[in-house]
Amino acid sequence: MLIMTASVRGTERRTSIGANLAVACLIALACAGCSQEARNVGPTVPQTRPRDGADPRIALYQANVDQVAQGGRYFAWYGCQACHGESATGVRNLADGQWRHGGDFDQVFASIADRHGALRYAVRVPPEQLWQLTAYARDLPLHTPEKLHRQAVDQRAEPVGNSWSGPQ
Amino acid sequence: MKAPADRRLQLEQTWSDKPGLWGFLTTVDHKRIAARYIVTAMLLMFLAGMLALDMRWQLSVPENTRMTPQLFNESFSLHGSTMLFLVSVPLMEALGLWLVPLMLGQRNMAFPRLSAFSFWLYLGGVMTLWVAHALDITPDLGWFEYPPLSGPSYSPGHRADIWAQMITFTEVAALAASVNIAVTILKMRPPGMTLARMPVFLWAQLISSLMTILSMPAIMLVTSMLIADRMVSTHFFAPAGGGDVLLFQHLFWFFGHPEVYIIFIPATGFVSQIVETFSRRPLFGHSVVVLAIMAIGALAFGLWVHHMFAVGLPRLGNNFYTAASMAIALPAGLQIFCWIATMWSGRPWLATPMLWVIGFIATFVIGGLSGIMTASAALDLQLTDTYFIVAHFHYVLIGGAIFPLFGAFCYWYPKATGRLMSERWGRWAFVLIVGGFNLGFFPMHFLGLMGMPRRVYTYPPGMGWDLLNQVATAGSAISVLGGLVFVGNALWSFWRGEHAGSDPWRGSTLEWAGLSPTPPYNLAYTPAVTSLTPMWNGGDPLRAYDGIALERREVLITSVADAAPLYRQRSASASVWPFLSAIAVTAMFLGSIFTPWAVAIGSVPIAAALIGWFWPQRERTMTGLLRKRR
Ligand code: HEM
Ligand SMILES: [Cu+2]
Repeated sequence: MLIMTASVRGTERRTSIGANLAVACLIALACAGCSQEARNVGPTVPQTRPRDGADPRIALYQANVDQVAQGGRYFAWYGCQACHGESATGVRNLADGQWRHGGDFDQVFASIADRHGALRYAVRVPPEQLWQLTAYARDLPLHTPEKLHRQAVDQRAEPVGNSWSGPQ
Repeated sequence: MKAPADRRLQLEQTWSDKPGLWGFLTTVDHKRIAARYIVTAMLLMFLAGMLALDMRWQLSVPENTRMTPQLFNESFSLHGSTMLFLVSVPLMEALGLWLVPLMLGQRNMAFPRLSAFSFWLYLGGVMTLWVAHALDITPDLGWFEYPPLSGPSYSPGHRADIWAQMITFTEVAALAASVNIAVTILKMRPPGMTLARMPVFLWAQLISSLMTILSMPAIMLVTSMLIADRMVSTHFFAPAGGGDVLLFQHLFWFFGHPEVYIIFIPATGFVSQIVETFSRRPLFGHSVVVLAIMAIGALAFGLWVHHMFAVGLPRLGNNFYTAASMAIALPAGLQIFCWIATMWSGRPWLATPMLWVIGFIATFVIGGLSGIMTASAALDLQLTDTYFIVAHFHYVLIGGAIFPLFGAFCYWYPKATGRLMSERWGRWAFVLIVGGFNLGFFPMHFLGLMGMPRRVYTYPPGMGWDLLNQVATAGSAISVLGGLVFVGNALWSFWRGEHAGSDPWRGSTLEWAGLSPTPPYNLAYTPAVTSLTPMWNGGDPLRAYDGIALERREVLITSVADAAPLYRQRSASASVWPFLSAIAVTAMFLGSIFTPWAVAIGSVPIAAALIGWFWPQRERTMTGLLRKRR
């Protein structure tokens, strides 16, 4: 966004396109840098559901690579993989960008928490993890198939669930 | 070797850089480039030292909350990566770039533009790591980033990429410097300096350059594989996809172990020169020291697995790598005995450079002893990942490399600046640094034996670790204070120090033959070498040859073994192309963090810059396929 406004203004004052662009890039980089990669490993406050699609907490999850990746891990651990894996089709395919009940954060959150029948994720999964799962699910359309496959391969090697290899 | 004024003037004209910014960007003068390397690396040593002090502050009391675990992770990763990749290795190369031509009585390196290219790329690596740090994209997985943790699934974002690409930068820079140093030493020795008459410093630089050339490709390969795994989803390190995470560790340590000797061997070169000059007698057992360096260089490639004992090996495997690791104590011990014998049988003069050598020997022996302990697979299983390891590698890295480096700094400072550093403040710095260092790091041995793990951001009270940690922090603070005294002394002496004259220590090797500070052309004549210590030469004066051009840049090429003069070679002039090429390479490396297309698209500007760099300057040939047609 910043970059675009800079070049639009630059059409009026041609001389400063370069400078504006450079400054805008730096600012954009700095902003991206300061939150996108922030890695918070401390305890987090208890979470409630998103109020609506504009809940200010959404960005903390959706725009942070670590939260999204954490969601990816739960995605496998809670068995979402089984139905929504690489070969899922139709409504089960989450990577196609089509959302039957709406693609806003609160809508996807509700789909996960409330619309899985007997799996009752709303009570089985702690709220913060639901936030992370939602962020991951909404991020999926951005992942290439190779990336998804690579991640599945990594998770298959994890000694959890069926592949647990440690003491029983 | 007094040269007439008009000769000096002519040489000065031929070899000087253009004034101002243009001269700054285009220079290929090895002295200027090395000085940049040294100043940059010293600055980074200061920054990384501050990080260390911050970590020690955090650890001084249990359950301290000054740092979050994440910040602590970032701090030791940045500290370790900076100290090893951006400080130690580059400083050793920088001293080579600066001193090798001086000690050979040559006018420049074999590939002057490659030296410039090497520095600019190194600077690219520095900026990559530290600008990213300023943007809070700091690598946070330690100085070796093992997959799967550093793989795409567990380290999203670009922190790990920054680390991997910083390595690529510094390794290309190191390769460029090493090839340059090795060729210069092999092909540009002054007449008479046969291989048998080569000072230990040059041997050390030669061997460590060859080691760099042999080991660096392994790490460039492995970090490139990591980047490929992360960016284009290859399976090198994905076990369930047929990859192998241990492959990373093997390739990393195949470089990583030789690296510590790439740092240590040049240091033995400094020590040998200092011991010789300040004992006022030729080094005892010159060929033993040289053979020991060769033995260390060869053995260093056969024991990387001692970094991986905890991963699990069959028993015989453990035994082999334990034995190989202990074997290296033999040549290292031989060297130490030769230095002691030199001092014993000479008339030692305890000026600051010599003090640092004594500090080095004492400290390095302690580090060597704890090294023998960790080399034993059985003991290592207990000690690995504890503070014992932190103590061990700081003893060998600081004691074995940084102390000799400080000694070298004091020894060659008058050569570089024409002024002497204050001996009084030098002794203060020495006492503070060596005393503080031992106070700070010796207790860590006990902490490790008591079970304190490394890389923890805090610890609970009641473990019995509190007092020792406080002592460790106090010691670190004292040594940092000493570091400030050292730097303060260097800065003050630069403007206010006593004038040194050209040879204040009455040194043994050729760098002391010329003026201090060294003029752009180094020596006015080509020296003729007849002994191992050409400046002493049993009291005979240093003889010299003439015949190398004065009005154009020219150097003398000699044969590899006997240093017999072969031909005169044009030496490349100042050029902006190395700088531009480095920028093009930097753009490609940085771009390839974000998209694989950068590799393809980015190679176009690189090719263009290289074509500019190598644009022929000779007349076109009159025969053959590419002849000039009429
Ligand atoms: C003022 C001097 C120094 C102090 C006080 C210091 C202190 C420390 C501390 C507190 C750690 C973290 C230990 C842990 O939590 O595991 C550390 C790690 C490390 N230091 Fe230093 N250090 C100093 C100088 C150096 C130098 C000169 C080098 C190398 C030439 C070096 C290389 C390393 C390495 C490689 C690590 C390991 C990083 C990792 O675990 O990935 N340090 N140092
Ligand atoms: Cu090793």
